[in-house]
Amino acid sequence: MTLAAEIPSSPAPAQVSPHAVRGGLKAGQRRVGLMLLLPAAIAFGGIILYPFLQALALSLFEYTLETPAPRFDGLGNFTKIAATPDVWQAFLTTAIYVFFTTAGTLVLGLAWALILNQPFRGRGFLRSMSLLPWVLPSTVSAFIWGWIFNSRYGVLNAFLLEMGFIEMPQAWLSTSAGAMVAVIITKIWLSIPLFMAFFLAGLQNLDREQVDAARVDGANNWAILRDHVLPHLRPVLIVVVVLGVIGNLQQFDTIYALTGGGPVRATAVLSVEVYRRAFEQWDVGLASAIGVLWVATLLPPAFLYLRMLVKGA
Amino acid sequence: MFDLSSTVSKVVFSLTLALIGLFLFFPLYWLVISSMKSNAELYSVVPTPFPTTPTLTHFVTALTTGKLPMYLFNSLIASGSSAALNTLLALYAGYSVAKYRFAGRQPAMLFMLSAQMFPFGLLLISIYPLMSEAGLLDTRPGLILSYIVFALPVSTYMLYSYFSQVPDELIEAARADGASDLRILHTIVVPISIPPIVTVFLYSFMWSWNDLLYSMTLIVSDDKRTIGPGLLLTYLNEVNSDWGGAMAASLLASAPIVAAFLFLQRYFIQGVTAGAVK
Repeated sequence: MTLAAEIPSSPAPAQVSPHAVRGGLKAGQRRVGLMLLLPAAIAFGGIILYPFLQALALSLFEYTLETPAPRFDGLGNFTKIAATPDVWQAFLTTAIYVFFTTAGTLVLGLAWALILNQPFRGRGFLRSMSLLPWVLPSTVSAFIWGWIFNSRYGVLNAFLLEMGFIEMPQAWLSTSAGAMVAVIITKIWLSIPLFMAFFLAGLQNLDREQVDAARVDGANNWAILRDHVLPHLRPVLIVVVVLGVIGNLQQFDTIYALTGGGPVRATAVLSVEVYRRAFEQWDVGLASAIGVLWVATLLPPAFLYLRMLVKGA
Repeated sequence: MFDLSSTVSKVVFSLTLALIGLFLFFPLYWLVISSMKSNAELYSVVPTPFPTTPTLTHFVTALTTGKLPMYLFNSLIASGSSAALNTLLALYAGYSVAKYRFAGRQPAMLFMLSAQMFPFGLLLISIYPLMSEAGLLDTRPGLILSYIVFALPVSTYMLYSYFSQVPDELIEAARADGASDLRILHTIVVPISIPPIVTVFLYSFMWSWNDLLYSMTLIVSDDKRTIGPGLLLTYLNEVNSDWGGAMAASLLASAPIVAAFLFLQRYFIQGVTAGAVK
């Protein structure tokens, strides 16, 4: 039989005919449904859930090179963390990193979406091209920006010297502040496309008539933005901020490839800290304990996001 | 939406366009032209805005003397397999949760969603010994399996939300004709769901292709190494930095994912932003 089904692009309430119970509720079909779910459930349980729970559990164990078998240690790792300023430093570094990357991407991503929402020639091409930074491998982004920030041959120093903003070439990646600026700028650069895509999608269903009516009433661009566009984008804005915070809290690859968490520990965010403790110093218990605190910082934005999705569903 | 007839608004608009555009595109431009500059030109204190004598030396070197082709091949195997596995798992699971009623399907979905937020770095701490015990450390299957972490939850959710919109009548009608559940899925539902399936495949492929952390930790032997760590090892070591080579290799490493993306981006953006924008 041929079926040219038109799938509605927006979620429409499914039309249920009186004879067809949604999805079929016969006992046999329930078993089929469970069978279909099983492979993913096994993969999910084995590769995601079990490791997650195990990592939480390991935070209560001493498990290092000296104690190759995990030994129950209660809150030992957490007391160790309390006495290790390096770890607090990683929390602070992460907070700074997440705040600036999320805020920077938000402002630039929104501005860029508003620009690309205006009709002009070459807009479609710009939209496509704008997505590129986001799809590049993380090592590649780190190479590009490492080369731009290069202290001897980098184009950034050459430009700043030329413009007279600096007197001497700056060793960006060898100073704490410079390296932090570099990892933040790199992350903003590669996240703008994603934020832009969300905002553009949100702008598509803005009520044009309302905007036009406001314009007839004499509203200028600023008033349109403030009273119509931004309120309309509020739900998208919240999603983007939450996803941005979650993503930036997790970021490892670009930072590691660009600075290795250095110089010294200047850009060692939590992900780098956990990696180093676990895979360089082989203190798995301590790494897991840091990870538990890390997850705790993720809970508020995660909860917010889930609640929104459930409400929307 | 905005009225750009006044001079002030034109200036603000053009200036913002120019500045953000420069920030987004200049690095890409710089990547491309740096890959075509001779070493003499790369390592001069005043950079040239474009290569005076463009050369393909760095590309030739990367493809012939280095291990880049091997790394690219390894990445292709690992990312391709893991994307296929991920798409299959998500397809059946998403369909199951969307179209069947059984106890616990709502919690299962919610759980899937919360799992996107487990930090990958934390999971790796336990995945490493797990793979080690299973004898999968430093093997391709181990890496392919562990890549599931990145995309399975999101993929399942994407396909679930799409399948929820497939009219039940379609399925009921086929069932009345005596088609089995699997047959309905394979011959009726899958053909009309190609865009989201492609999106999910590309999404998980992209995650694995671009990954550094997992491949760097779970693969030790050079002959199985993927491009992320491969690039780092080849071009950025303490001894020497070959920037021309790094740029050329970066372009080669980006080519497959960029090509796939530009080709399929329409589906892709819809898929990724779906659910967040109503």
